[in-house]
Parts: sequence; C-alpha cells; structure tokens
Amino acid sequence: MKHTPLHDWHIEAGANMSEFASYSMPLWYPQGVKKEHDGVIESCGLFDTSHMSSVLVEGVGARQLLQRALTKDLRCCFAGGRPLVEGRCVYGVFLNEKGNLIDDAIVYQRGDDCYLVVVNAAMGGVIAQHLADFDISAALTITDMTDRLGKIDIQGPAAARILKGLIADPERVFANMPYFSFKGWFASSSASDEVRCGGIPVLLSRTGYTGEFGFEIFVTPQHLEKIWYTILEEGGERIIPCGLAARDSLRTGAMLPLSHKDIGGWPFLRNPWQFALPSIENGTYSKSFVGAEALAKVTDCDYTYAFAGYDPRKITPGVAADVVDVQGNVLGHILSCTTDMAIDRVDGGIVSIATSREDGRPADFKARGLCCGFIKVSEEIDYGETVFLNEGNRKIRVEIRSDIRPDRTARCSMETMFTDARGGKG
Amino acid sequence: MKELDELILPDDLGYTKEHEWAKLEGDLVVIGISDYAQDQLGDIVFVEMPEEGDSFSAGEEFGTLESVKAVSELYIPLSGEVVAVNEELEDSPELLNRDPYGNWIIKIKADELEDMDKLMDHDSYLKILEGE
Repeated sequence: MKHTPLHDWHIEAGANMSEFASYSMPLWYPQGVKKEHDGVIESCGLFDTSHMSSVLVEGVGARQLLQRALTKDLRCCFAGGRPLVEGRCVYGVFLNEKGNLIDDAIVYQRGDDCYLVVVNAAMGGVIAQHLADFDISAALTITDMTDRLGKIDIQGPAAARILKGLIADPERVFANMPYFSFKGWFASSSASDEVRCGGIPVLLSRTGYTGEFGFEIFVTPQHLEKIWYTILEEGGERIIPCGLAARDSLRTGAMLPLSHKDIGGWPFLRNPWQFALPSIENGTYSKSFVGAEALAKVTDCDYTYAFAGYDPRKITPGVAADVVDVQGNVLGHILSCTTDMAIDRVDGGIVSIATSREDGRPADFKARGLCCGFIKVSEEIDYGETVFLNEGNRKIRVEIRSDIRPDRTARCSMETMFTDARGGKG
Repeated sequence: MKELDELILPDDLGYTKEHEWAKLEGDLVVIGISDYAQDQLGDIVFVEMPEEGDSFSAGEEFGTLESVKAVSELYIPLSGEVVAVNEELEDSPELLNRDPYGNWIIKIKADELEDMDKLMDHDSYLKILEGE
C-alpha cells in the first residue's frame, strides 16, 4: 500500500486507517467522525488529500487539448459567459467516445499555455495517457504528477482567519479571491503572485470537497509535513484533523459526486451534475468534445438522484441492496449512502446545525443525522417523492431531493467569512 | 484505533465472537457491545433495538448499530425474552462509544441461565481479538 508523506503523523495521532485507491489513509482520528464532520461546518477541519493525482499540461496547444478533452467549455464556463483565465479553475469531466465517464477533474489555468489538471487518486497515469493519446504537437508536455505534489484541504468558516496568521501579505492574497479561483504556485517563483504559507510556496485554491468555505493547498511533498504542523498549531482549538469518513459524509450532504461511484462508466446524463457539460444552444452543445456525439444520441439511460432519509439509518450499497417504489417494484440501485451527522428533520424539512434561528433551527436543536446519498434508477422521479432503500429485511424510507444539507458556506464571500461569528474571531 | 493492550475488557463479563458482552444481574442477563466493537465501528449514530417481549434464540439478530462507516447487526449471546431496552440510546447512541460497559443495550430473561457458561471469558475473547 502507498503512503502519503503524513502517514507517520496519522499513525501517531491514533487514526483508524484504511485502504483507499491503494493508499493507506485515515478514516477518522480518536475524536471521532461526528466531531470532525460538525467541526468543519462550525469551525474548521484539516484533511490530508495527498493521495489525489494531478497532471501538468504545458506548451502551445494545451488549451485546445483541454477544450477538446474536458466537457466544460473553457471559453464561457463562468457566470456571464466569461472564459477560464489565469488564476481561475473549473470543474469538468473527461468522457470516452461512448459518453461514459473516465474521471472528473478541476482544471487550473496557470498561464496561457500551462494548466494543472487535478484528478482522483490513482487516476493521474490514466488521464495523462488519455490526454497523450490525442493528436498533440511535440511542443506539448504532459506530466503525471502522481506522488509529486502534496495537498491538504483546510475547510470550514474559520479557514481564512486561521491562514491569515500564516500567509505572507494576507490582504493581497485574500483580495479578489472568489470561489474557484487560486493564487500562487507550489514551486518557488519570482512571480508577483507568489503565495507563501509558513514561508513555503503554495498553490492556494478556493475550492474543496466538503461544501463548506475553505481552501485546497498544493505544495511539494517535502514541505507537506511542515505546512500540516504549522496550520494545526496556528488553528489550535479552532481546527480539527479530519479523515476520509468525514470527507465522504460532508461531500455527500453537499451534493458532490464521488468519481467511480456516483458517476462512472455510464453516460454522463440525467444526473445532478449536468453543469459540468457545456450549455446547449439550438439543440447542440456550445462546443464539440469527446463523448458529445454519443451523449446526443442517447435516448434511454438511467436517472441519478440525491436522496435523504428521516433518521441516520442507512443501507450500504451492494448486490443485495436495491431501490424500490411504494409498491415494492425495483427501480434501481444505491450509488452512495452515508449519514450527514449535522442535519435532521424539523417539520418535514431539513435543518442543519449551521441553519440560523431565523431560518428555522429550533432553540433545542440536536442533529441526530440523516441518511443521504445518491441512487441510479430506471425512471424519472419528482423531487419530494418517496422511495425505499431495501436490503433483505431492512427497508428505509427516503425522499428524492434536489439538495441535501442546507446553509453551506462554500460560496460565501471572503468578506463574510472574515466577519462570520462561527469558529471564533481571529 | 486502539491497540489490543488499550482495550478495556472487564473480567466479569461473558463475550461472543461477534463482540457482544453479557452479564448476570439478579435473574436477568444484561447485554451490550465490547470496547473492541465500538472502537472498530467509530461513532455510533443510531441503535435499532427490539421491543420488550420479543424473543430470540442464541446467535439471532436482535438489532442493528449504525456507524458512519457501516451498518452492523447485533447478535444475542443467549436465548431469551427481552424485558428491557435502553431507551437512552435512542437519543444518545454515542453513549455506546463513551462507555460500552456502563451503557447496556437490552436486558433479557434467559431461557437457560447456564448458557452463560458457554460464552467466552476475558482470556478466550482476547485470543479471538489477537487473531483479527
């Protein structure tokens, strides 16, 4: 099994370790997954995500290659039809010619001819090869960065206030830093946009996989341990180290898909993540991309929906588990199923520990957690409809949802997060 | 995760290979889960319990534990009828993580109290754990 540079720290901290995509990773630390999950929503959590892969695409023709390979239209992927530019990043997926998913990715534009493509664990080699298989010019370099780039995610409303004490020139760095933008680079450079955290050059990205406000920090592997210690020390009581279990429950509640589980080797259609595709103009996509023709021809495919239950009970996806309607007819199967521990039902609706009193959080609110996740079914179902997760003699009633955990902070402005009361002032 | 020597395994309990414990209390048998079980599961978020009056045969499933990681079945260590369920666990399932011995799950009236002798003692249970 592979290790990240923080492996010894995880063991020393008493983490419950498990294999994920051939890496030995922490599932949770002794404080437990509920404290980690709630900690990210209420203050801040720190995740080792160095198992993730990335691919560097450099040289003339880099943008054209990505415009062809990635689903997102880089010419108009931001609000108001604005293009991907230097310092911004965008979410999209790579499909094969059949329109089936290879992997999802965030593409960072470093310069006119320089892009960092961040993909899932163990996918760096696959995506590097996939891109190299295009008809590319000799001037283009594609580098699999697997295990050559460390990454830690600092997520939660206190993230910027904690980093402020560690980042050189924080006013400059945090100014004009909207969701899905980044500054700096993981290698030292003389560029004026350099970001240093604890003295170490980093790529600081306003992204994450929890649905909460925060950053992903990319750094060379030899600097990873130092950044991790430095942030934990600076954060003190405001920050909690988190494992993959909390990452999974947070992302599920935030409606974010897990590649090769919620999206995978089937047509990328009829799912909650159609924003990853280009807009459709006059019946056709705004650009051509690999998989587009196949997607346009699909006439019948499954539907993927989010669901939430009424208590924490869940059913683990598997061959014995299926999704049935009120009459007991089998509709399909479960893709993901976990418990978002920060939410509960109040008068039928969902309330989070982050929901304000004005928005309906009762004074004595205690979240027991709700089962939630994604299902893939053969027919169209309206939001609000009831289906059942079924396994043997267990049957759990769930509701088809357009969204799961309310009052998430991922898209909040930097300004709001500096004045937000949660996680203490800093 | 706890090392074996960090686990609390009281001497006066009977254990099963599914990691339940049982203890004689007057003429009733009190049943819960071991420190090993709660440590392996991680945070327990829901306990599905039987009704008072339900009867089970030894080894039968009498409820489930929901942790974030998985759903685990609870197996009854010896045959009998449920006479009490720990209702505190409905609102506070985390009590099982905090103190798995102070917080029991059910109490039963055993069909045969002598069945307690069939359960593993501390040393035999520890041997099972060493093999896991």
